[in-house]
Amino acid sequence: MRETLSLLLYLVRLRVRTRLEFRASLVIAWVAQAFGYAGVFTQIWLILTRFENIGGWTWPQMALLLGFHTLGYALGACFTLVQLRRMEEIVLGGEFDTLLVRPLNPWAYLVFSGFNIEYGGHIALGAGLIAWALPQLPIVWTPATLALFVGGLISAALITASMITIIGACAMVLGRARYLFGIYFDFWELSRYPASIFAVPFQIALLSVIPLGYMAYVPVSVLLGRPVPYLASAAELAALAAGPLSVVVAAAFWRFCLHRYQGGGG
Amino acid sequence: MSAFLALIRAAFRRESEHHSRNVFRILGSLVEILARISIWQAAFGAHPALYGITLSQMITYSLIGGTILSSWDATMIVRDVGATIRTGAIGSSLLRPVGYPLMLLADQLGVRLFDWLLVSLPVIVIMGLIYGIEPPASLGHAMFFLGHVVVSLAILMLTGILIGLFSFWVFDAHSLEWFMRGLLAVLSGGLVPIWFFPKGLAEVAHALPFSWITYQPMAVYLGERDLAASALSLAAGCGWTAALGACVAFVWSRACGQVVVQGG
Repeated sequence: MRETLSLLLYLVRLRVRTRLEFRASLVIAWVAQAFGYAGVFTQIWLILTRFENIGGWTWPQMALLLGFHTLGYALGACFTLVQLRRMEEIVLGGEFDTLLVRPLNPWAYLVFSGFNIEYGGHIALGAGLIAWALPQLPIVWTPATLALFVGGLISAALITASMITIIGACAMVLGRARYLFGIYFDFWELSRYPASIFAVPFQIALLSVIPLGYMAYVPVSVLLGRPVPYLASAAELAALAAGPLSVVVAAAFWRFCLHRYQGGGG
Repeated sequence: MSAFLALIRAAFRRESEHHSRNVFRILGSLVEILARISIWQAAFGAHPALYGITLSQMITYSLIGGTILSSWDATMIVRDVGATIRTGAIGSSLLRPVGYPLMLLADQLGVRLFDWLLVSLPVIVIMGLIYGIEPPASLGHAMFFLGHVVVSLAILMLTGILIGLFSFWVFDAHSLEWFMRGLLAVLSGGLVPIWFFPKGLAEVAHALPFSWITYQPMAVYLGERDLAASALSLAAGCGWTAALGACVAFVWSRACGQVVVQGG
């Protein structure tokens, strides 16, 4: 176990050192991605400057929601997105077969050897929005709220990693699965808004089978003392439990697909 | 011209091959439009109209602006150009009987036409039946809107190609793609029409060609411009198209000098 962990950390170090060889390119990528997201967030800010609120959410509240969402996503995606979005090519090109004969779990190898430090822009933007919004919101900081804040972010990262793992695993069974990331990101974009503004079926979906509502909406609502539909007083516990639960589901699904994998390339 | 049309047809056919992917594209587009409509419903609250704009107009804006006039996927051109340069495929592209920017344009037109017919149209029909959609303000406005749609497509494609061609110098198409996304998200009026912008930002948006991608066509469609102003807007859009076309031709002529083919 100890040897495996040190090997995984070594893979991460190798990847980081490789990426740091092109520092200017890395910094430009951070700035560019933050700029892209800032463009989207500016649209939401523009609506709020005119209409004052969206479904009762003011700009500082929305800024906290967006910051939490972006930061949680970045923490999960840096371990998974770029690596597992390639699963289709990895499977169809036969590369996955070579991973299976290595003395290391293929998921762990893919995730750690591809650790992506290009999320610096996301992290700076997310943390910046949170830092700007928090002093303007009447949140009473207690050990419980602090635990919810930190635990909620970790849970958001775990949900992101789990969902991406589930979609990536589909390639082992379906072969072509990259297009599924498109529908994931469509729902992911929904989850950056308060779920309460959507029609009931979408609210239920975001709080159950597609648990992206727990990435930011549920924990931030609890922090702000806003009611969460269908969850009521269980919202706090649900926000913290959603991440670990999704990891269990994703791990089971990965194993399920791996058992049915019959080789896709040659 | 026949090669150009053949490339459009090839791209159209290629897109139609992926049946399950297309079903998910329709589903994804439905989700995206639902988000846009929900945002405006929540923003308007109980008010049927605010700042001289009705909720019904904003639903129509979301429906057409988020499908036919959407700018998000156009950033894929930048990604394609980047991949062509990174893999060295640009060498073989230069040998073909159609210029590379024209090939890109034809390829993207094929994709876009397919998207309009088999993704956007079903989504507009489905969401229109659920939420309602306003017709064009008049027959004249409808005609000018069609003209604006052509201009919108041309400006979007040319902007994508122009930014993509900068990959010849910066070699990092991924970053260019994100810059383009951020720029177009706001300045095209994709989600928020420019009439809701603060004065300073609105002036900047009006002075740039990106507002012809979504905002100007929709302003014409909804009758926010009279017919004379619509004609003027169309003429200005054509001017921007010509200017961007000239920029693409100039940048491409310079980019060709950057290509060094080693081996074969």
